[in-house]
Amino acid sequence: MGDINALVVFYSRYGATEKLALAAGLGAIQADANIRLRRVADRADAATIAADVHWKKNLDRMNRDYVAPRPADPVWADVIILATPAESSSEVESYVASLSSLGSMNGKLAAPLAPGNRESALKPIYSAAACCGLVVTPCGQSSDDPIATATSFGQHVTEMARALKRTS
Amino acid sequence: MLTLRKAEDRGKSDLGWLTSYHTFSFGGYSDPNHMGFRALRVLNDDRVAAGKGFGAHGHRDMEILSYVLEGKLAHKDSMGEEHVLGPNEVQAMSAGSGVIHSEFNASETEPTHFFQIWLVPGSRGIKPSYQQFAYDPHEKRGTLRLIAGPEKSTNPPSAFINQDARMYAAVLGNGETINYPIAPGRHAWVQGAAGEIDVNGVTLKEGDGLAVSDESSLTLRGAAGGGELLLFDLA
Repeated sequence: MGDINALVVFYSRYGATEKLALAAGLGAIQADANIRLRRVADRADAATIAADVHWKKNLDRMNRDYVAPRPADPVWADVIILATPAESSSEVESYVASLSSLGSMNGKLAAPLAPGNRESALKPIYSAAACCGLVVTPCGQSSDDPIATATSFGQHVTEMARALKRTS
Repeated sequence: MLTLRKAEDRGKSDLGWLTSYHTFSFGGYSDPNHMGFRALRVLNDDRVAAGKGFGAHGHRDMEILSYVLEGKLAHKDSMGEEHVLGPNEVQAMSAGSGVIHSEFNASETEPTHFFQIWLVPGSRGIKPSYQQFAYDPHEKRGTLRLIAGPEKSTNPPSAFINQDARMYAAVLGNGETINYPIAPGRHAWVQGAAGEIDVNGVTLKEGDGLAVSDESSLTLRGAAGGGELLLFDLA
């Protein structure tokens, strides 16, 4: 059992952000964290999703592969890794905005992650996380290998959470 | 010294889709008197409803073996491994520096019954790996069939594990007997998987376990109707 609990919450339609989230989760494990992986629900209606064969197929798979977020998750977590697609951050942003109703987030880390560190995707999540009392980590370094970068990011933010926990 | 762990004394969790009996402390079941035996840390007897399973979750520094008794188990992990496992097949995963995986009942109609076994590894932070192999069920009939051990073996195949431990399986008919020597200083765990087995005069029913220390040999004998067992030889 690790000494840090890392909650990895992501939103993904076609699997690209899911891969980033998994890589970040793996990095957290490598840094000796216990992890939980959660996919936030789509905000789009069922008809819109059904009209996109690839979206629907991936959604069915991900609904099977991942547990939906639970109220106890953020309470359990020392660090919440938030992976969002570049083109749609509202799902993760809404999740973050709901956190303060689940308990105190003070002293916990929020670690937002988006493909290519897209500013337009990250900024709303930074803002929502800070407003909840979460300590927001800076984005990871960009590189030609987003999976390796996400893994390093998961390691790095777990170490940050460990350091924060040690001093609190 | 033989110490019996009765099936009905194990921990139990029932999530609706999963019924799991825990020989040793696991998840919400915690008993400081049953935290494992030598390197054997987890021995879960899991029944998973059709189409259900364990969503993506992580492991680190554990040798994880899956032994299916009935049904099919689908596995997918962060190493890119995606397989279906059935009876007379063995899956061994070294979580090492970190793995994320999911496991589901591969059938939409039939339940799956399997043992999930965790052994503490001999060294930490090793490169994660996955192995799976099938064997002829006759190979465990009346004899101990090596399932996993610390030596790499392809003929006959067995899983390599990063620990000084060996796991065997055997199916014994009524009265059929196997003698197994235990090297000085070593220990054993015998798990009843099905039917009834006598071990040095102690009867093991399905789900019973027996810790063995300070014994020089085991006499394993099929009791009424015979049975199936798992044997762990442990440092």
